[in-house]
Amino acid sequence: MSIPGIPGLGQSVPVATSSAPVTVATTAIHELAPNSEWRFEVAIGQSIEVRVLSGTAEIFGTELALNHTYTFHGTKSSIYTWHGTRLEVTGSCEEYIAEETPMIAYVNTHFALEKLRQQAQQDGKEGPRVLVVGPSNSGKTSLMKLLTSYAIRMGRQPLVVNTDSREGLLSIPGCLTATAFASIVDVEQGWGSSPTSGPSPVPVKLPLCYYYGLASPEDNTKLFKPVLTRLALAATSRMAEDANVKESGMLIDTPGVISQGKGGYDIISHIVSEFSVNTILVLGSERLYSDMQRKFSTYRTSNSEAITLVRLDKSGGCVDRDDAYMQKSREAAIKEYFFGDVKRTLSPHTQQVDFDSLTIYKIRESNNMYAAFLPGGQEEAEPEAESLYEAVEPTSQMQHCLLAVMYASLNDSQEAIRDASVMGFVYVADVDDKKRRVRLLSPVNTRIADRPLILGSWPEPTMSLIG
Amino acid sequence: MSYGIPSDEVAEDFRQALEDLQINSRYEISNLTVIAKENTEHALAISEALKNHIKQTPPQKKLPAFYVLDSVVKNVGTPYTLFFGRQLYSTFMEAYALVDNNVRRKMDEMLKTWKEPVPGSIDTRPVFPPEVTRPIENALIKARTSAVQAHQEHLRSQQQLMNRGRPSPVPYRDTPTPPNTTRQPAPVPQGYPQQPYQPPSNGHAYGQPNGNQQYGLPSVRTHSYRVSKPMLNEMKRPPSQQYPPTQVPSWQQPQPQGYHTQETSIDSLNSDIANLILTSKADFAQNPYDSSIQTRLKALLDLQSILQSQKLPPDQIALIREQVTQLGEASRANPQPKPQRIHAPSPVPVAATPTPPPVTQAPSLESVLGPGARGALAALLARQSATPQIATPPPQPAVPAIRSPPTQMAQPAYQPIPTPIPSTSTPVPPTDTSALLQRLKAAGILGGGPTTSTPPIPPLPLPASFPAGFPSLPFMGMPQPPNGSRPAMATIPNDVELKATSLKIPRPHLIASLYEQLGAPCTQCGRRFKSDEEGRKKKTAHMDWHFRVHQRMTEAEKRGQHRSWYVDELDWIKSREGPDDQTNDMLDGGKTSGEDAFAAVKTKLQYLPVPDDPAANNVCPICQEKFEMKWLDDAQEFVWMDATKVGKTIYHASCFAEAAKDGSRGTPEPLLGKRKAEEDHVLRTKIKTESFA
Repeated sequence: MSIPGIPGLGQSVPVATSSAPVTVATTAIHELAPNSEWRFEVAIGQSIEVRVLSGTAEIFGTELALNHTYTFHGTKSSIYTWHGTRLEVTGSCEEYIAEETPMIAYVNTHFALEKLRQQAQQDGKEGPRVLVVGPSNSGKTSLMKLLTSYAIRMGRQPLVVNTDSREGLLSIPGCLTATAFASIVDVEQGWGSSPTSGPSPVPVKLPLCYYYGLASPEDNTKLFKPVLTRLALAATSRMAEDANVKESGMLIDTPGVISQGKGGYDIISHIVSEFSVNTILVLGSERLYSDMQRKFSTYRTSNSEAITLVRLDKSGGCVDRDDAYMQKSREAAIKEYFFGDVKRTLSPHTQQVDFDSLTIYKIRESNNMYAAFLPGGQEEAEPEAESLYEAVEPTSQMQHCLLAVMYASLNDSQEAIRDASVMGFVYVADVDDKKRRVRLLSPVNTRIADRPLILGSWPEPTMSLIG
Repeated sequence: MSYGIPSDEVAEDFRQALEDLQINSRYEISNLTVIAKENTEHALAISEALKNHIKQTPPQKKLPAFYVLDSVVKNVGTPYTLFFGRQLYSTFMEAYALVDNNVRRKMDEMLKTWKEPVPGSIDTRPVFPPEVTRPIENALIKARTSAVQAHQEHLRSQQQLMNRGRPSPVPYRDTPTPPNTTRQPAPVPQGYPQQPYQPPSNGHAYGQPNGNQQYGLPSVRTHSYRVSKPMLNEMKRPPSQQYPPTQVPSWQQPQPQGYHTQETSIDSLNSDIANLILTSKADFAQNPYDSSIQTRLKALLDLQSILQSQKLPPDQIALIREQVTQLGEASRANPQPKPQRIHAPSPVPVAATPTPPPVTQAPSLESVLGPGARGALAALLARQSATPQIATPPPQPAVPAIRSPPTQMAQPAYQPIPTPIPSTSTPVPPTDTSALLQRLKAAGILGGGPTTSTPPIPPLPLPASFPAGFPSLPFMGMPQPPNGSRPAMATIPNDVELKATSLKIPRPHLIASLYEQLGAPCTQCGRRFKSDEEGRKKKTAHMDWHFRVHQRMTEAEKRGQHRSWYVDELDWIKSREGPDDQTNDMLDGGKTSGEDAFAAVKTKLQYLPVPDDPAANNVCPICQEKFEMKWLDDAQEFVWMDATKVGKTIYHASCFAEAAKDGSRGTPEPLLGKRKAEEDHVLRTKIKTESFA
């Protein structure tokens, strides 16, 4: 039945297809030896069902229940076992079993952090603030998830911070978030779900969102850094007040792009200082590790702690996710925000709003793009005068865009709006230039006209959400 | 990569061959070693098979299996040492907990050789690296220590029950034969014929004297593993000190099955103790003023009376035995003229002992143990007796165990030959009881209250490879936190540093802290809950939560639901995640479980502790519905929710309120509080929304 140890050959074995030619649901049993990993990719729009028949299995650190059917939609993931397991898999996916994984080092990282947390608990100090850096597709988020899940299993409540606007964490892309995790991570749905008005089979998580609205931190560092500072402020305040979070510490995910060079390193430094990072995990890249070593070997945090720097191997299971895949997963995230997932259907509201009743600010694209159009010499003349946002009227180009609804009031300054957290998102379904009316899709049926809305270029306009 | 044979097939064959390994047969062990050597590409599968075999095989077959492991790691080395090393702790300790003392001794010897280089090898590294063997050694030391604890506690409790040192009225049964008629005589003669040096012939089914079992590998498989004769010849000469011929007979000693251990070991134990008493008396006669001898003698006499008057659980007997053995070794090391081999003396009339130690002079156990130790020991013992036979594996269905005549059971001969070196210089086992107690005190195990000190180094992870859902098995005699609370991380040696080298070392015992040590998993979501009182409560609440969510999912489907707005900064900073699924949704409006928290707040005073009186009505007289019983964390007890007592009758608080108003609505609204909470939330959101306008 199973073919362990032969990478790439673990195709699903059809069972009893001859007797039932109509139902082509294929079921395969996989036997996993201890310390091996079953890696699978489900195409977007498809799904598979997985059941653990015996042994123990975990997905990114979250243990799976025995004989419980888990459904995975359009994902690239892996199931690891410390003790060996038998998996029953229904549906088709690309898959193989890997026996070489960096899990020992990863789990040991967790135990090392756990030791620091214990220490923090004893001394009444803050737990480790861990920054995960590494190139794109090196498994940063997976490592984050693993460390988070293990911490939760040990009864900790780590503060999980996402500074990667390319991918959302419990939110849609474009956001920077902070979330205290205390309950089990939803293995079927990324990190889980933010609160909804109904019950949730997996406890919901409560993210705090800030909106950056651009894909890369380097697109507009003048916006990214203050937003990040604000996020760090909130996170540190929470840590100061919440004893559980305090001793558990922080886990900070980063965009891969900042691990690639000069400008990026500047942002790493910014994150390190704003969050008082004292542990940096470098995934994969030797060069990045040595650069980080150079940069932070003499660095001291505000409490004059030295930074512990560790390089961890990239998992062989990391796959390059191409742009098309990433775009589809962003679309999926937006869809899920409004409509929920298979387990729970959400009903957003549509509302017609006059152009005049909306206050929309558009994020200015890049640092110097504006200046580039100016004659030379004037470039440095008044860089401060350049505002963060530009007030715009709805146009038909905004169709299928997302607008961030800010916890701010209309007459707040741009800085105040920038520093405000996000209340939610509305989707521009339709713009009627003639009637000067916009049709908006909103998660909750409340007036949003009294809130400033921010339009970013990230996430990019999607396909139509409502037919 | 492609393999000739799939690993699992090799492993399966290996497993089958192991199954057939009933006794310590050098030939079979060599044969299995060869197979392992020839199939190093399947080393993982083979080592897993062997590990599992050791785990699953009945106690009397564990030693031969360990010898296979030993032979493989010594003769083949890597990668097997790596694979076995990963879970050696659990493999070893789990087996150690189940086998009897003779086997333990063999295992101790084996462990000792693992700390040394392979004899005759140019490689100076030990068989297993110290980080693999050390946790085992530590655990064994701990186990012995707690054995003394158990032992002493019994002495103490006995002491209070009866006058000191008097033999119990139960007659001492000095019988070398186990008083157990249920067992059948072993069908296999003792001098089990082995052919260790006979060259094997391929294709020959190795018939055994007992006829119905096939040993060795079937010819086809043997062939496919390419077990060549030269190789076997080479393998026929294992380093002599690994399997010293002198030990061979004792390897064949019966390993009584778990359920029979008791009688047999009691008997041999009794005789051991009797021996020791005699020795001690002789010592005492020589040095009448040596109080340590007095103490020891007294302890032994007490012990003897306990053993004769009480039926102790087998694990405690094993512990006592361990201690007695050590005492035996210690006393033997003392210079004394008497011969050792006094075999099972006739009942010792202790009352007639010519040398009754003066009570006042002898340091009483009470004073030696110090106050406070009692509670800790009692707790420990309670734990031990509270976790009875689950720890033994499922009884093996009547395997005709190979047994030697039972006389061997009582033999004192297994005690090591005394070394001529004076015992004071040997650092090994504690030399007498008081020294032992001193050491225990020094280690902080005795003395102090039950909760003050947890043992400093008890590496007590459960084996890392239990299947999920398997109940946690406390090892007999293993050190355990005396207060029985959750195994805090503090008790697990976590030595991981954030350094590349430290991160690379596998630490299976730590993995257990993510699995077994967390308790059994929830069947719905896999979250684990401890099996202690608190854990059970949490689990009940958790299962209730699953149930409620499940119930309300369908309800919510009909009603329609939507994503909530995110919380704002200040609310988020003020928010607190519950340890569970209980609170985190309170903030967003408590539609899931937070709702109940709201309801609980609302009906704060409207619950009653579940009445003890069985005559109390459990149905509300107004609505004729039963009261909802649930665990209330605030009250720390089971309560009837929404209940109120009027006179002697209990009503639903809501029913009673309605009835008191006008009685127009007979049926209560169980969801009243919840709906309110929901409305509150909507209101709250609105307020918040509008406050910004």
